[in-house]
Amino acid sequence: MSLTPKNHHIGQSVRRKEDLRLITGKGRFSDDVNLPGQAYAAMLRSPHAHARIRSIDSRKALAIPGVIAVLTGTDLRADGIKHIPYNVFTLHPAEVQLENTDGTPPFVTPCYSMAIEKARYVGEVVAMVIAQTVDMAKDGAEQIEVDYEVLPAVTATRAAAEPDAPRLWDNAASNVCVDAEVGAKEATAAAFARAAHIARIETWIQRVTGVPMEPRAAVGEYDPATQRYTLHAGSGGSVRLKKDLALILDVAEEKVRVLMDDVGGNFGTRGMIYPEFALTPWAARRIGRPVKWTCERHEAFVSDFQGRDLAVTAELALDADGNFLAMRGSNIGNSGGHTGSFTPLQKGVEIMSSIYRMPCAHFRARSVVSNTVPTRPYRSSGRPEVMFVMERLIDIAARDFGFDRVALRHRNLLKSTELPYTNPFGMLYDSGDYHDAMDKSLTLGDWAGFAARKAEAKQRGKCRGIGMANYVDTATGAPRERAEVTVHPDGRVDVVLGTISNGQGHETSFAQLVTEWLGVPFDSVRLITGDTDIVQVGGGTHSGRSMRMGSVVIWNSAKEIIAKGTRIAARLLENDPSVIQFDNGRFKVQGATPSISLFEVAAAAQRLKDLPDDLRGPLAAFSDESFNEASFPYGCHVCEVEIDPALGTLEIVKYSAVDDVGRAVNPMIIHGQVHGGIAQGVGQALWEQCYYDPASGQPLTGSFIDYAMPRADNFPFFDAEFTEVPCTTHPLGMRPAGEGGTTPALGVVINAVVDALSEFGVKHIEMPATPERIWRAIHDSKNIV
Amino acid sequence: MSGTHKVSMTVNGKTVTGNVEGRTLLVQFLREHLQLTGTHVGCDTSQCGCCTVHLNGNGVKSCAVLALACEDANVVTIEGLANGDKLHPMQEAFREHHGLQCGYCTPGMIMSAVDMVNRNGFELDEKTVRKHLEGNICRCTGYHNIVLAVQAGAAAMKNS
Amino acid sequence: MYDFDYYKPASVAEAARLLAAGDSKLLAGGMSLIPSLKMRLNRYSALVDLGAVLDIKGIRRDGNFLVIGAMTPHAVVAASAEVRKILPAIASLAEGIGDPLVRNRGTMGGSMANADPAADYPSAILGLGATVVTHLRQIAGDDFFKGVFETALQAGEIIKEVHFPIPQKAAYTKYRQPASRFALVGVFVSKSADGVRVAVTGAAPSVFRFTAAEAALAKRFDPAALDGITIKPDDLNSDIHASAEYRAHCVVEITRRAVLAAQ
Repeated sequence: MSLTPKNHHIGQSVRRKEDLRLITGKGRFSDDVNLPGQAYAAMLRSPHAHARIRSIDSRKALAIPGVIAVLTGTDLRADGIKHIPYNVFTLHPAEVQLENTDGTPPFVTPCYSMAIEKARYVGEVVAMVIAQTVDMAKDGAEQIEVDYEVLPAVTATRAAAEPDAPRLWDNAASNVCVDAEVGAKEATAAAFARAAHIARIETWIQRVTGVPMEPRAAVGEYDPATQRYTLHAGSGGSVRLKKDLALILDVAEEKVRVLMDDVGGNFGTRGMIYPEFALTPWAARRIGRPVKWTCERHEAFVSDFQGRDLAVTAELALDADGNFLAMRGSNIGNSGGHTGSFTPLQKGVEIMSSIYRMPCAHFRARSVVSNTVPTRPYRSSGRPEVMFVMERLIDIAARDFGFDRVALRHRNLLKSTELPYTNPFGMLYDSGDYHDAMDKSLTLGDWAGFAARKAEAKQRGKCRGIGMANYVDTATGAPRERAEVTVHPDGRVDVVLGTISNGQGHETSFAQLVTEWLGVPFDSVRLITGDTDIVQVGGGTHSGRSMRMGSVVIWNSAKEIIAKGTRIAARLLENDPSVIQFDNGRFKVQGATPSISLFEVAAAAQRLKDLPDDLRGPLAAFSDESFNEASFPYGCHVCEVEIDPALGTLEIVKYSAVDDVGRAVNPMIIHGQVHGGIAQGVGQALWEQCYYDPASGQPLTGSFIDYAMPRADNFPFFDAEFTEVPCTTHPLGMRPAGEGGTTPALGVVINAVVDALSEFGVKHIEMPATPERIWRAIHDSKNIV
Repeated sequence: MSGTHKVSMTVNGKTVTGNVEGRTLLVQFLREHLQLTGTHVGCDTSQCGCCTVHLNGNGVKSCAVLALACEDANVVTIEGLANGDKLHPMQEAFREHHGLQCGYCTPGMIMSAVDMVNRNGFELDEKTVRKHLEGNICRCTGYHNIVLAVQAGAAAMKNS
Repeated sequence: MYDFDYYKPASVAEAARLLAAGDSKLLAGGMSLIPSLKMRLNRYSALVDLGAVLDIKGIRRDGNFLVIGAMTPHAVVAASAEVRKILPAIASLAEGIGDPLVRNRGTMGGSMANADPAADYPSAILGLGATVVTHLRQIAGDDFFKGVFETALQAGEIIKEVHFPIPQKAAYTKYRQPASRFALVGVFVSKSADGVRVAVTGAAPSVFRFTAAEAALAKRFDPAALDGITIKPDDLNSDIHASAEYRAHCVVEITRRAVLAAQ
């Protein structure tokens, strides 16, 4: 890699601290945790998509050698275990809130860690068996007799919204949990009435799943002496998990400790609490031994939260010159069997118009429950869906009404002089140079040279297509974050932070900040995140919040440490604090030579008895802040595909990305995030889908044999660059980089595919754009001709 | 003969023995009996390659091999790849080229990459690398830096 | 997984003896068997591992036949200079099975006995008119595959080797299912003095011969000979990866490509 770091400061591609343990097999993932005397849990999961549980008979299971206990929803309720406290909306103040048009509150389902009375999707936990070994627990689970009354099921999003659909919750009027409207209805109608052109799309951004490579695992403990629960489990954040666990177990927060070390991927679907994370500590208390549960991959396909699944009908109104006048439509999200999170719906519909000048807009936003695995935010929650819709609408408009795709985007893309800009849903975009990113991306992707490449491909019998997509990505997330920075006299700096690295390289990037600001050696910095007995506050890792918020609270702490250090140094150097300089880790009097290090100052703070109270003791500072503004990363991707028209098979031959990150801390890590994000987006566009049998509600993608994971031979090398237009709402100018790769990828790939098929008159293709779909599109067009 | 049976093999240069069941998988023997937890399990259908180790010099998926089938065999895991404190060139290349993010697939990737070099030589073109990695799934990196790392690691192995 | 006894005999005779006792199953690589056991889809009292039966492992030429021992791993077949020289279509077939790590462990005999409808080797057995030699008898390749995971093997019968007649021309072309990388459609074509054979895997419940294509290609062994040839989707597989209609289209198209590759 040409990104050779000069030092360990901000902006350098510093090689990662965490790698040494990970490349030598010394990482510590959830399943690597084993406690003395632990028993093992196996989950009995519902084989039916929708069924009433008449009775559960555990007698035969309990007779199996090694089986210690069988626990059911009845036991859970009897023990006073509470439901999972899902926060269904993002309440971030920068975000548009969804309220039912009829004024009623949204329907939020009580979600217990095991099915109570009814199972609402295949995979819902019906009983838990604890035994001496995993195999014995599975033997026991096989012997549990459950009397089910199988009920009609509904899995498809639009079908679930119908009034006569099978009803999941008896106490709800329908499966629709949220029915809100955003934007200006009448103004939008008026704009459509005077439009010269209207582009339309009806589409379904299909159900996919996150698939972190590390399957989930949990080890629960209970100490009767202190009445404390401990959970070892990888997740997207330790503090939030602790708070949720305390609510479920109905104990004070200090009675719960959460521990996690390495986490093998998150992507949002691993970010929130899971039923098994509450069941294992509860079971540990019941049986008086630690209880371990490890998810198997086939189990993950029916129990890991899934993502996306949005049905959209949308229209874009243009005047005769191609200026956007308005957009309108309807989005329906699918929550699955329980209402875990409406945020993908919310975070999508508020930026339907992307970064284009859009005078007005109006959308209906609904969420339904269905007999499917519950959904959660998945990488760039909500945004890839709506960017897909917007970028498809633009290409459809260009094709149908005779505009050039690039010119149409240039005409309507917001200029930097128009920022800050409030979009028609009320979202305030702070800053950026959208045209610059688009132009750079078109150059990087050699848009100008495409015609020659297409002609060359034609010689080989291939249909080559090119697509582009602009995007914006709303980064919000849990607003509060806290850092505690302590300088130890022995040459170490500890940073306690409420985030968790799931592969993003926090140990490295955050150490770079500390190295930059405190001038201490990179290796002296230790990041502490995964133990809630040490980390008291913090929102974890999601919505591009870790560096965005972590940098500020570390920066504040560093400034305070320097301020304190300056006063101590003044004392040591026998001078006035106003003439003390701090540079590269050392304090000195301006213009003089003698200097003392930060660590010497830290030693003095502990040694000197006559310092003022606020300076005596450990040289430390903390910063605890709430971030009420959103950040809006943006960029433009260009993709080129080649299609073999005889089979409909497709190859991505070129992929170029320009993403704005405001200010890059570690370019190497940022590029890695973009690459991975692109692969996840392309995966959805071309291969991935959680299929359900519409009649029975049975999941049809239960393993990697049927769920098509992107592999190395599916991709070319990516051409990824970033721009750095400082974000005006971030004190250090940073914008998140973790979701930008995915956000435009769905749209850009499908735009390229449709472009490749334009000679056949194909106007749209649904995701995943499988060879069969492509072949059918060609085949159908030939039949029409 | 149900119950447990004695098995002996060489793992990372050391002779090890253990008592296992007929059904005990090699990966379980490594992780649970020998506490060599660097070998990971990412699926149950032998697709993901997180569990890749070398068995008598060949890369295999240790989640689809019985421990008892490895009697007298020579097994090398990710923990046995480095020479003392000196990293194997392939390990070094993964770090240098940012060929990992969460690190869960990484041990299998590295073991598979070394197997690839053993079979295909030190000069690996992009296509060969991508094709050979068909049995190793990564969700984090988009494979871009993994491919670069494998190519660089292969070249470095030539000089080591 | 349910527990089982484990045996590793050193000869076919001993394996046959062990296999006769109880509800035993042969282990010939385990790339499909062990995952299915992990899912508790099957239960056996014992597994009889053929890994130490060395005389059914290896590759040789016997007159006009390429003989491959049942326990030969795919990687060995793929890398064999002998196979690449005299029947390169088999080498390329073996090189496309699973992934490199699976090929190091999985064996031809295991793949045949398992008879997965989307496995690769069955197409070569049919596509070359091979002969399957077991420890009891010889079975014509055409009679070996009976249905989904079903073969002509009797209980306790052990495949020793397969005799592949060496054709004038042959090729295997595989269109991969995107997730499993098994054959969505795989076609083995061969041309020999006895005529043309076209065997299709992945498309139907069992490997089958595409007789309409064989007849057309017998007249002229050229992709253009397939113009106008179709196959009815009625008996083909339909699943989330491909409808029967699309598979029917692919069977013809992949046959065309296999013929081209065999030129």
